[in-house]
Amino acid sequence: MSIKRRESDLSAVRLGNVVLPAKGSVAGMSSSVSEYLVQNPHVAQWVESLRGYCETGKAWSARREFILRNMEAFPAVQPGQVSPHLDRLLSLSMAWANHVFLGCSYPQAVMEKIREMGEGIEVRDAPQHQTTKELSLRGKRSAPSEGDTDASVKRAKCASNEPDSRGSGRGAPCPVNQKSGPLPQAPAEHQPFFNRLYKAVAWKLVSAGGFGPNLDHCEILRSCVESCKQTLTCVFVPLKDITGLPAGRAQKEGHVCEIRCQTVYMGTGYGRDEAAAKNMASKEALKVFQGRKVTVKICRRRYKGREVEDLVLLDEQPRSQALPPALSYPFQEQEDPPS
Amino acid sequence: MGVPAFFRWLSRKYASIIVHCVEEKGKDCNGVRIPVDTTKPNPNEVEFDNLYLDMNGIIHPCTHPEDKPAPKNEDEMMVAIFEYIDRLFNIVRPRRVLYMAIDGVAPRAKMNQQRSRRFRASKEGTELVEEKNRIREEIIQRGGYLPPEEIKERFDSNCITPGTEFMDNLAKCLRYYVADRLSNDPGWRNVTVILSDASVPGEGEHKIMDYIRRQRAQPNHDPNTHHCLCGADADLIMLGLATHEPNFTIIREEFKPNKPRPCALCGQMGHEIKECQGTAREKQGEHDEFADTMPVSEQEFIFIRLCVLREYLARELTMASLPFTFDFERSVDDWVFMCFFVGNDFLPHLPSLEIREGAIDRLVRIYKDVVHKTGGYLTQNGYVNLERVEMIMQAVGVAEDNIFKKRKDDEENFKRRMKEKKKRMKAEQQGPAYLTTGQFAPQALGRGHRPEAVQNARHQAFDMRMQSNRDAAQSLKATMRNGGNSSAGPSDSTDNRGVKRKAEDSDSEPEPEDNVRLWEEGWKQRYYKNKFDVDVTDEDFRRKVVKSYVEGLCWVLRYYYQGCASWKWYFPFHYAPFASDFKDIKDMFTDFEKDTKPFKPLEQLMGVFPAASGNFLPPTWRSLMSSPDSSIIDFYPDDFAIDLNGKKYAWQGVALLPFVDERRLRAALTDVYPDLTPEEEKRNSLGNDVLFLGKSHPLFDFIHELYRTESQEDTEIPAELCHGIQGTLNLDDDPILPDKTVASPIPMLRDISQNIAIGVKFKDPQYADDFVFKAVLLPEAKIPNKVLKPEDWERGNREPWRPQLGFNPNRQQAHLDQSGFRALGHSLNRNQQGRGQYSNTAPPSSYHQGGYRQHGGHQSFQHSRQHNSLLGAPPPFHQPQFPRQQQQQQHHYSGGGGGGGGGGGGHGWDRAQQLQHSAYQQNRGRGGAGPGGFQQRYDQRRDDWHDRRDNRGQQHQGSSRGYPPPPPSRKYNWN
Repeated sequence: MSIKRRESDLSAVRLGNVVLPAKGSVAGMSSSVSEYLVQNPHVAQWVESLRGYCETGKAWSARREFILRNMEAFPAVQPGQVSPHLDRLLSLSMAWANHVFLGCSYPQAVMEKIREMGEGIEVRDAPQHQTTKELSLRGKRSAPSEGDTDASVKRAKCASNEPDSRGSGRGAPCPVNQKSGPLPQAPAEHQPFFNRLYKAVAWKLVSAGGFGPNLDHCEILRSCVESCKQTLTCVFVPLKDITGLPAGRAQKEGHVCEIRCQTVYMGTGYGRDEAAAKNMASKEALKVFQGRKVTVKICRRRYKGREVEDLVLLDEQPRSQALPPALSYPFQEQEDPPS
Repeated sequence: MGVPAFFRWLSRKYASIIVHCVEEKGKDCNGVRIPVDTTKPNPNEVEFDNLYLDMNGIIHPCTHPEDKPAPKNEDEMMVAIFEYIDRLFNIVRPRRVLYMAIDGVAPRAKMNQQRSRRFRASKEGTELVEEKNRIREEIIQRGGYLPPEEIKERFDSNCITPGTEFMDNLAKCLRYYVADRLSNDPGWRNVTVILSDASVPGEGEHKIMDYIRRQRAQPNHDPNTHHCLCGADADLIMLGLATHEPNFTIIREEFKPNKPRPCALCGQMGHEIKECQGTAREKQGEHDEFADTMPVSEQEFIFIRLCVLREYLARELTMASLPFTFDFERSVDDWVFMCFFVGNDFLPHLPSLEIREGAIDRLVRIYKDVVHKTGGYLTQNGYVNLERVEMIMQAVGVAEDNIFKKRKDDEENFKRRMKEKKKRMKAEQQGPAYLTTGQFAPQALGRGHRPEAVQNARHQAFDMRMQSNRDAAQSLKATMRNGGNSSAGPSDSTDNRGVKRKAEDSDSEPEPEDNVRLWEEGWKQRYYKNKFDVDVTDEDFRRKVVKSYVEGLCWVLRYYYQGCASWKWYFPFHYAPFASDFKDIKDMFTDFEKDTKPFKPLEQLMGVFPAASGNFLPPTWRSLMSSPDSSIIDFYPDDFAIDLNGKKYAWQGVALLPFVDERRLRAALTDVYPDLTPEEEKRNSLGNDVLFLGKSHPLFDFIHELYRTESQEDTEIPAELCHGIQGTLNLDDDPILPDKTVASPIPMLRDISQNIAIGVKFKDPQYADDFVFKAVLLPEAKIPNKVLKPEDWERGNREPWRPQLGFNPNRQQAHLDQSGFRALGHSLNRNQQGRGQYSNTAPPSSYHQGGYRQHGGHQSFQHSRQHNSLLGAPPPFHQPQFPRQQQQQQHHYSGGGGGGGGGGGGHGWDRAQQLQHSAYQQNRGRGGAGPGGFQQRYDQRRDDWHDRRDNRGQQHQGSSRGYPPPPPSRKYNWN
């Protein structure tokens, strides 16, 4: 009987809570809790027994509020009795406190639940923590770019495909049709724009905290190009439509994206879907901007099984790997050569 | 102890405690392996009675090795474990007892650490997989080649926890292994084997300690038993000291930092996953015969002699003019206790005590300073005198402020020095600004280049002058062309500098932000605020932390000296208080809760596993780890914070995991207990130690008789039958019995059809609840001979001190006679490619390194030595297999006994080594403890080398790849 009474008392407080302004101020909230506890010494005594030994005063008063506020959702919880229901409430209260005070996170369903249950409880000056994920990201951020420079040094040693090696077209499947290629003066015409773009990218990357794997490469490239009053051209091709891939390649799904700007080739990327491919291509494009300058050059590369001349944006480093085959060829509007 | 630095510190300060193991290798004859006869005297010139294996130190490297390809399946893992034990058995050759202890359910105090390790392991595992996939995709997209993803799933090392199926299997396999060796290996014939598997509660090393403690407390114990304990944990040293047994040795793998590891993605050596290029694998050796070998040497073992450590400690701790009589044994206990302040598995270490900063020396100093005030020892038999501890703590507390300031200074200095060093290294790499060329080009000495007469010196000088002029002009032109902003061109002097400076600045990695700033005024306040989230004024909370820590110190010491006092107790905070906070601690601790029970294995799994490892648990149990409706969901965060706490790497930091509420855990499990299958129930129950022995053991008939009479009651071991070992025997439910075939649990191994081993349940001697194990030397214990040089040796005006290198003080020195020298000189001459003027003599100390160097890629000293020694004259290059075998055997004998008689010139090399080495020592004045174990190390390496070569057969004798690359020897680089 007496328990029943206390139950109703509790709900009175709960009603009180509801009456309070929706996002009740912390002071108001906790004072109402302590007021309630003064009025109900049994509950106060009971709830105090739930305090963990190592809990700080601050953490406990927040968790106590969490417990008291959410008791109505667990009607079977009765002060003074140990029950599975109480344990569930306690567990959720601990999960919530661990999240707030220790920086733990839980599976999504749990997180949603405790967020909902803890709504309105404000904790001032909660400690800041770094989760393992953030730590590992921080540790890695510098590393891949370091690795990149290393790799490029290595590449320099075994350069096989100098962009300028115009004359070494031996073994090319068919002679290049000069008419359909870019004009010889094209690199010089495009160079000023890419100098501007280089600056824009550099500043953008500085403000984004440097080049790294965790950037939205696509977004950065797009905004930089747009700030230079130009747009990107993206071409998507499903991987399975590309012929001449090395045999035995496991992947048959996914897409390949090629990015160009003002007909100048910037990068190619592969991904499971078009967005991922585009992001990867943007990343490759941004890598070019990591050098000391960018240069537009005419390079030979493969396109649809032929060897063609293409406008390509390059950094200073010579590359060992040949350029990936082109997916589009913007210099032949007049006549599409038979493939 | 989770303090790797402790062992490093100890072995540097007390160098003579380390003795390198001599290991006799099994031989291979025409493809048949000839096992080593372990009944022969121990080549280490010492005989051990008991060998104790802390099995977890063996299981981990065997199941997920870091320096070789991982075993393909569980069976291979088991075989690897067997081989590892065989190897240890061969080195140590115990004559009485082999005790194998696998970690069982640990006390609650340890569970927090286990929990943090397993949560991290699981986290790191998934992160690695993610990164692998990411990089794999990138590489493939760039057109690189990678070997196809292995289908094999990742071995979750978390399954090495009591209660898992894996551990159950392991126990079965070990039973089979023991039965097999007892039946077939003569070295095991008279050995009593005790297997304490994961179903017996307690950490492995503490089960071993319990065994020793309980044996030595009974009257039949032989006080001069020579114990050898295998394990890498630093706390084994503490445990060994705590036994007060005079003959106690620890064996562990030699610690070699920075071993190369294969790339996790393509499996090739030489780069990390981040730098993986996806290039094709290089051929290893001429015919790719070294494809699966790693260019690392096999892990070697070292002994740690605790009796030598005791000698050192006696010097350090002995105090004169005390108000009480000095008792060395008790001061050792105090020393062990003070080491706990610096770090242990159960408590976080005090922020001001850092082992790298000489914390133990500081403590010892303080200990000796305040001993007059304390008027006695800090501990007795594992019980702590808190009043005296407080005095020590207060003395540390006084210095705390300065320690933090000094730490900061040192850090800054270190950083500055590193920066300068880097600069210096770079400067060195650049080389001199100008080098003469052509015939004036500098040439290294001793390479056999005969200087030739200079021709046309003037012309050459002109060329050199003009060359540098041309360079200068070119670079000037380039600079002008680029308008002063030189980014290309041959002149990279200015350019280079510009780039380098930039790189240097970006080198300094972003330091983790330190909010506590212990070196600045107000550190205590900030520490409590940041770490505990309380104000420094919150006196109650601070007292709580201190009280828990004091309890912890008492618990840990008791754990080491008396066994587990409470299975329930644990330190409920993530950080330690300051030393200066230890005020009025006298009454903070009275006693622990009595009659606490350990968790059941599956309960402990629930307590230490993250949800990601839930596959080791039954489904309903698993769902408690992830369901939002679980009443213990708060124990299983899927991500958690790591506080670097001033450290650099995540694994050094503190994982901020919530603690487990035992009551709620047990309550939640009562609901799911009925869901256990009988098999799981069996795994969840507590088991027994099992004792095995072979037919020729004196106790065998006694046990056999028990089985025949089906005795159902506890039976004491008759002390006289088993070297005074006591304990209670009980019949095993599924025993290993003689003449009963033991089925092999591993498909690739045979059943034992002719088993002569017998197994029986074994229980350590039992004592009354309030019995106190005395931490004293036993009355009849003989202290082993002194090893260290007596401090008054010089004053005694005696002959020069000869340091002891192994276990035997009277090691036979080997000598080289004239013919030996001739042979040596001959072989050296033959092998020198260039005959420089120094090539007749072997360089002294760095020789054992240089010996590996292959000369001209086809000949080596090792070969020619054999030719000479056997046949007297260099034979043709391709020699038959047989004589080499014989030769090798001879060497094995010589390796152990120090020369021996026979073999003629066969030992020439050895002797030259030793002779030179000892000469070298004499030159150094033979002071102090000389470089330990040179000869053993050398012998062993050489044997390794032989083996490896022999195992590979003949065809690649000539190749120079695959052998361990020698450490760079500076002085004598012969190539």
